[in-house]
Amino acid sequence: MKGVQYYFERDLKRWIRSKRAVFASLVMPAAWLIFVGLALPIRFTNNYLDFITPGILVMTMLFASLQGGTLLIFDKILGFLNKFLALPVPRESILFGKILFITFRGLLQSTVVLGVAVLLGVKINYFTTIPFTYLVLFIFGILFSGIATTIALLVDDYDSYAAINSMASMPLFFTSSALMPYEVMPHWLRIMASLNPVSYAIDTVRGLFAGTFLLNGITVLIAMALVVLMISVYVFRKATV
Amino acid sequence: MSVKTYELTKYFNKRCAVDHINLEVGNEIFGLLGPNGAGKTTTVLMLTTLLKPSMGEAYVCGFDVLKEAKKVRNVISYVPQDMAVDIKLTGRENVLLFAKLYGVADRKNKVDEVLELMGLSERADDRVNSYSGGMRRRLELAQALVHEPQVLFLDEPTLGLDVSARRKMWEHISSLKKKGVTIFITTHYMDEADKFCDRVAIIDRGKIVAMDSPAKLKNSIGKDVITASVSGEFKGLNIEGITFLGREIDNIKFTAESGSEALPLLSEALSRQGLKVHSLSVREPSLDDVFLQKVGTQEEQGSFDDYKFRTLLRRRK
Ligand SMILES: Nc1ncnc2c1ncn2[C@@H]1O[C@H](COP(=O)(O)OP(=O)(O)OP(=O)(O)O)[C@@H](O)[C@H]1O
Ligand SMILES: [Mg+2]
Repeated sequence: MKGVQYYFERDLKRWIRSKRAVFASLVMPAAWLIFVGLALPIRFTNNYLDFITPGILVMTMLFASLQGGTLLIFDKILGFLNKFLALPVPRESILFGKILFITFRGLLQSTVVLGVAVLLGVKINYFTTIPFTYLVLFIFGILFSGIATTIALLVDDYDSYAAINSMASMPLFFTSSALMPYEVMPHWLRIMASLNPVSYAIDTVRGLFAGTFLLNGITVLIAMALVVLMISVYVFRKATV
Repeated sequence: MSVKTYELTKYFNKRCAVDHINLEVGNEIFGLLGPNGAGKTTTVLMLTTLLKPSMGEAYVCGFDVLKEAKKVRNVISYVPQDMAVDIKLTGRENVLLFAKLYGVADRKNKVDEVLELMGLSERADDRVNSYSGGMRRRLELAQALVHEPQVLFLDEPTLGLDVSARRKMWEHISSLKKKGVTIFITTHYMDEADKFCDRVAIIDRGKIVAMDSPAKLKNSIGKDVITASVSGEFKGLNIEGITFLGREIDNIKFTAESGSEALPLLSEALSRQGLKVHSLSVREPSLDDVFLQKVGTQEEQGSFDDYKFRTLLRRRK
């Protein structure tokens, strides 16, 4: 457990010290919210900002998680991973530290989105909605940073990782229920969206914003996150003797 | 025995990178020497539990690297070939991270102590991106020493350092040995190995071709080495008491029991072949000569790109 904390702190320190990266990663998601929610000329619902906020929140987590895999790729390429693997701390701490940091960073970005949403007048019930929203985003973050780190373990160079990342992230987002309600989707998109794990998170958060708690969504997300974590640990052990 | 291997072997697909090697390393500075691609790093990775051997066994401080990997990791430190230190963190933070990960008891003091030992105290609170290559290497050594390992594995610790930084590095390594640490080091700088290693093994294409103390290895090839600088085509030579050692571009090397007696004979024989002899010189054998004899000309063995890539990476950091 201690090891997880130390690896987490290392990543956190390294991130905080690149001021530009911190600034960009905190501003970008909020810019998306403003752009999609206010500036885009299409409107699928009456109060589109209310509708889109959960979508942007989950998108922030999704992109943050997939992007986070590069941390592990660089540790691998630059020789850090080998150095850490030769240490007596349980090796899995490296993996868990990474997943936790990536998720944590995504939650920080989501916080900015939430803040901007409130400023723009999105109605949120502070006491019930917010804690559960964080919970859902956390589980979703674990799920996708687990996937990201697993991919990072399997590929050998940054370019392949970046290619996979860009092939996965945009389609996952655009075939989810982020931008429009199921009713207005074309048939094929409706099917894809209802199978897309990203939609599970979005629908659950959207439910929370509307004051309902979708136990189903959370359960599915937790189950998927657990499976991914197990696969991730398995791949990690395989990849490291 | 600090390190012991039986027929240790590693295949990458069909290519044999390490070929049935048997090593015994006691409490000493042991150098593994070889050209690029010889299998040095692969050997070290297996000994540090980072790579699974295809065949054979290896023990570090009596622990099996496969079955007791965790125990092995408890007694070793490993400094890889690629310089991997966090440039956004300070020197002290880099070492502190390792102290925490090793579970060092008296962390703060121990970190101060190793930073002092490596001559980094003054710059300890600067970010590492302001460090020179030599300082980064010493910082890595500080990280490795913070938990007092019994065996220290160093993969080409002097690669890319200037002469004084290399000397400093070796001084540190020698002082560690005095404290009882076993040092397993790889390098392709023969002169360094000659000066500082108690014993060396020469590895070529995965095979150990010679293993002994530098002095004994040098004695084994003859008393004197004669270098002839020539132009023209050398067709081989048959003079009693003179052995052809190898050729490096325009320098042909021979060994002889008595260099001064061999000189006139050689000069005449080479001229008779139609070679133009520019100079002849006699000196005592060096490890380079041993290397030349055992391995042949130091041609690149396909890992040039690899090497170039690493240097590139290092510059980028
Ligand atoms: N992961 C790998 N997959 C395939 N081949 C590999 C791998 N690692 C090393 N090799 C090959 O094994 C051989 C030995 O490589 P190794 O890195 O051990 O050499 P080295 O002696 O450390 O060389 P250098 O001085 O360049 O560091 C080389 O031919 C190399 O191409
Ligand atoms: Mg090497």
